[in-house]
Amino acid sequence: MEGHQRNLSLYDRFNTRVVGVSVDDVTTLKSWAASLDLTFPLLSNVSGFLGAAFGVQPSPEIKGFPVFSRRTVIIDKTGIIRYVRDGSPKYKEILLFLKKLNQQGE
Amino acid sequence: MKERCSIKLFCLSLLFFLLAGCATPGSNPKPYRVTSQGTVVYGEEYEFVSPPVGWNLFWPEGEEEAEEFAFGFIRRDPGPFPSQSVFAYDEEPFGFSTQFEEREKEFLKRFLWNANLRFEVLERKRVTVFGREGLEVLVEGKDPIKKEKAKAKVIFGKRGERIVAFYLTQWRPLDGTYDPSAFEVFDQFIKSFKFLKKSFYETL
Repeated sequence: MEGHQRNLSLYDRFNTRVVGVSVDDVTTLKSWAASLDLTFPLLSNVSGFLGAAFGVQPSPEIKGFPVFSRRTVIIDKTGIIRYVRDGSPKYKEILLFLKKLNQQGE
Repeated sequence: MKERCSIKLFCLSLLFFLLAGCATPGSNPKPYRVTSQGTVVYGEEYEFVSPPVGWNLFWPEGEEEAEEFAFGFIRRDPGPFPSQSVFAYDEEPFGFSTQFEEREKEFLKRFLWNANLRFEVLERKRVTVFGREGLEVLVEGKDPIKKEKAKAKVIFGKRGERIVAFYLTQWRPLDGTYDPSAFEVFDQFIKSFKFLKKSFYETL
């Protein structure tokens, strides 16, 4: 997540806003965000419906717990999902994709 | 005004889901070559004079590790565990600020966090790195439970607008003596270090 924080000015340049979504509760997220000095919004979605809506699968590594795998989703200004990647964020790939979208006016 | 501007801006949204899940690590081909002048070119991006015999190059094997550091050198030192010296070049050091003092705080909050060392700053001074202003911080941490200690020298510099860092960590038993020669090798390495091309962020 520090990677996203580090890239905020670049996301601004490409007219992008970043939002984190987690099944953790608000208190946990507040504490976690404070420990990393994160300044972008984190959404607490304890029921996990957002993850399910975006097709995120429960993590196979923690069976029996409502924990989702990591997924990065980029949505354009019209609401169309343009990029989906599972696993750790590929920051450079994300930036190149955003640059391209921005140049296309999307 | 700000709102009006933001309306004009595209509304690209980027969502990412947190927690769990790990990328599958892959194996990398040898990422360096030795030039006819005897210097080392790493990843066709950095060039430096290799440290003396005894220092072994290591580099990240997986994609997640590659996010943590670019490459480094390790030397097994004489004496009982954990006697060793390790230094690395890090393109994305912990933290995010572009001001050195702020970045130092962010960095030290997480540097060697799993070693359970509480670092004390021994020295902090402005230095020149890559011909520009940088910051050098010397810290020491002790773990009385494991009876270990580590002295680390962290040098922050700038590549474009982003902060990069070199750091050397020397591990010793709690009653061990530090070896200053590793710090001299580290300094020489940084003096010889140069970028062969603009960074990804400078060309973005």
